[in-house]
Amino acid sequence: MSRELETARLALDALLEYGAQEASAQAQTSQKREFTIEGGRFTLLRTTLDHSLSLQALADRRRGVVSGNSFGEEAVRKAAEDCAASARAAQPDPAWELAKEGGGVFTDGAPEADLEQLFERTKELLDAIHREFPKIVVEQVGSEHVSTRGVYLNSHGVRYETLSGRYGLDLLFSGHEGEHSSSFNFTGVITDRLDRPFLEMGDLRQSLLDAENQIHTRRPEGKFEGRVIFTPACLGGMLGQLLSNYAADAVLLDGTSQWKDSLGKQVADKRLTLSASPRDPRVVCGERFTPEGFPSLDYDVIRDGVLRQFMLSAYAANKTGKTRAPNRSFALVMKPGDTPLSELIASTPRGLLVSRYSGGASNASGEFSGVAKNSFLIEDGKVGPAVSETMISGNLAGMLDRVAGISRETVEDGTGSLPWLAVDGIVISGK
Amino acid sequence: MEQEGRDLLPDIISSLHGSFAPGAHSELRAQRSLARRVTLLGGNLVANARTDQQGVSARVYRDGVYGFASAADLNAQAAKKALEAATDNARFLETRVRPGRGALPPIATGSFPRQEDFSDPEQKRYLDFVKAVDDYIRAKYPDLTSRTVVATADSMEKQLLTSDGYAAHTLAPRSYVYVFLNSQTKDGMPVEVFKPVGGAGSFDARFTDPAALYPEVDLLYGHLMKKREAVFAEAGLKTCILSGELSGILAHEAVGHTVEADLVLGGSVAGPNLGKTVASPLVSMTDFAHTAFGQPAPLPVYVDDEGVLAEDAELIRNGVLTGFMVNRETGRHFSMKPRGNARAYAFSDEPLIRMRNTAVHPGPHTLQEMIASTEDGYYLMHTNNGQADTTGEFMFGVSLGYEIKEGRLGRAIHDTTISGVAFEMLKTVDMVSDTLTWSSSGFCGKKQMMPVGTGGPELRCQVMIGGK
Repeated sequence: MSRELETARLALDALLEYGAQEASAQAQTSQKREFTIEGGRFTLLRTTLDHSLSLQALADRRRGVVSGNSFGEEAVRKAAEDCAASARAAQPDPAWELAKEGGGVFTDGAPEADLEQLFERTKELLDAIHREFPKIVVEQVGSEHVSTRGVYLNSHGVRYETLSGRYGLDLLFSGHEGEHSSSFNFTGVITDRLDRPFLEMGDLRQSLLDAENQIHTRRPEGKFEGRVIFTPACLGGMLGQLLSNYAADAVLLDGTSQWKDSLGKQVADKRLTLSASPRDPRVVCGERFTPEGFPSLDYDVIRDGVLRQFMLSAYAANKTGKTRAPNRSFALVMKPGDTPLSELIASTPRGLLVSRYSGGASNASGEFSGVAKNSFLIEDGKVGPAVSETMISGNLAGMLDRVAGISRETVEDGTGSLPWLAVDGIVISGK
Repeated sequence: MEQEGRDLLPDIISSLHGSFAPGAHSELRAQRSLARRVTLLGGNLVANARTDQQGVSARVYRDGVYGFASAADLNAQAAKKALEAATDNARFLETRVRPGRGALPPIATGSFPRQEDFSDPEQKRYLDFVKAVDDYIRAKYPDLTSRTVVATADSMEKQLLTSDGYAAHTLAPRSYVYVFLNSQTKDGMPVEVFKPVGGAGSFDARFTDPAALYPEVDLLYGHLMKKREAVFAEAGLKTCILSGELSGILAHEAVGHTVEADLVLGGSVAGPNLGKTVASPLVSMTDFAHTAFGQPAPLPVYVDDEGVLAEDAELIRNGVLTGFMVNRETGRHFSMKPRGNARAYAFSDEPLIRMRNTAVHPGPHTLQEMIASTEDGYYLMHTNNGQADTTGEFMFGVSLGYEIKEGRLGRAIHDTTISGVAFEMLKTVDMVSDTLTWSSSGFCGKKQMMPVGTGGPELRCQVMIGGK
């Protein structure tokens, strides 16, 4: 019996012994190996061994949650006791639920680390940046391998055993020429194989090239309504805000979502299909089961512009009378369009190509206003100079109604697959 | 002090000084981090969670590279193994990159006495407190579209042993209650206000009586009602009075990060500006270690995770950029004394250059004078978000603000964003209030999370504000 299974069993038995009527226990062991590069040179190698133990107790429909990282018998029993006590102190709520079916044994990605190859691929990336992008200063790189072995058990007999491993790379950089510099930017990838250079993965090459062209900037004149083309990296962040504002637990529970009555209705341009797809082959080591123990399945949030499914937990679904989301991940996949990116740009009379958005968290209204970072002006169908101190504002839901085009090209970074999205009607403010 | 269900970290490392390899700078740390959270959203208990994380870590420096290792066990054997693994990792890098940077300059050695212990209340204490506040809001303000009350507490307890610096056993608890109130404009547009209350210390020491929060709730509700009638700010470069909350986040995000030595080495705007005028002569700024203006700083740091005894780091004096925040290695590079800015979040994290309690110093004016002398502008009170660039370009979300017309506060404004370039904007500061306001509920994100304090007085300046 693995140590994870032994620990999960001990915890589950203890939860029931301390008074839980339903319970779940998840035990994981992880190992991380990571190289850190600062100022362009290797500075640190890390080995991190960790455990995690996540317990959930339901007692008379009251729920408590405890998590920790000790697998010692005394600590596990104490965690179970705390969890049951927390549940007893809570108010009852019949909406809490644990899965009654599901289970499986899964191996994903690359569980074994090849540290030498990771070092060589990382060094190769630094050398390539030095050689091919002389204006780039690499501020920080983290290149890592993480392997995880875990067991989930619940009192209804649901059991998952998982083993997974993945490589990851995060890159923080900026372009420099004398005392002039671009804004910093960051990018990264997750992968389960090191069979090609990091520079050819995700959007690394394009982001570095862009940063070299963002050292000297111009601030556009005045305020105008124009088209913004969001890069896949930026689009991911905007979609995250949008879905949190309109489709997630909190806003449906408190009734502030403006989409609360829009299920089955058109909320976006007909060309737009967006799914949460942790089982998509382009997603590395995606979610296998939800925190409630249900098996994770891909689903469309929006299909052909129609809202098909909210991103709800079982609890929020029971509470609101809506359907539970088939997974709880944010592994976003957007169906690509049929227009090349070059045509999207060529058809833009005036606007911005936005790679990073730095803005305040939008509230339930969806109004947003923030700075377009690492972005270029588009004039008369051509990408022009990089911009500085330029704000964009609009409404998150309104954006989906004013889609001007979706690119044929996509970027896969191991967490999802997104195209470039062109949106009209964004207010762009310069000086 | 009362202690519920909490034991101090066992001393598993102080006897291991002899295990440090000769010729290498080594750190050994045992750590326990606790987090408690209760959230009532519209009366529904959506979070009721306790988290305990513990473990040991070791970091070993050899000739310009570090090896690091950690394990989720709290015993001497795990500590020794972490030390061995960290040494192996340092050797792996040393043999491949041959850094040739030599040993780190010496620092003061000593032992810092353990601080007073804190209590760890059972979950029921948080639940009861949150429920009382929620009941008050529900009964008094039934017209709200939604309400959320959150109680949080977190703490870091660390025992540190270094080969050539300070040894220490430190405890850093903090506790907060957040209140979010939601309503709608007459056009049905959602509006929200929120406020965190709290600071350093355990939850039951900070929060003895829910009724003590009710005046804060009433004040917040008043702002919400005004925000229901809010107007959009007029976009453009405007005269704005930033509250202490905003000037604190400006100090942290737009100046503080650019003067962290690792980001200076990465090409931040601060590098070429050392010794130059970067702000109005009214502006001074310090990263305080544990005491500011004769009072305890909100989140005191006494010894950092490299074993450096913490002291204040002056950043700007009367408008001139005077220093960076460094760790031992970058201190050597810039010939600056390390002052205790190397901090690690989890037991499995290595120390990074981090801020502690970063604040703009108070000035000679009163807020009333500042408003009365402003013909046309905005008073920006609360922020919900802040980001800045290594160029000093910043953006802050403004979640509560008012117009100023002819020297008086006017209508509330809708959520908006302000932006600018720090070293340009700070030169436009022409009034600084005499009141320092601290915030400490947030986390700074820079590879790792980190609790930090930010503070400042009201500043009057010219800043770009977003509108409709």
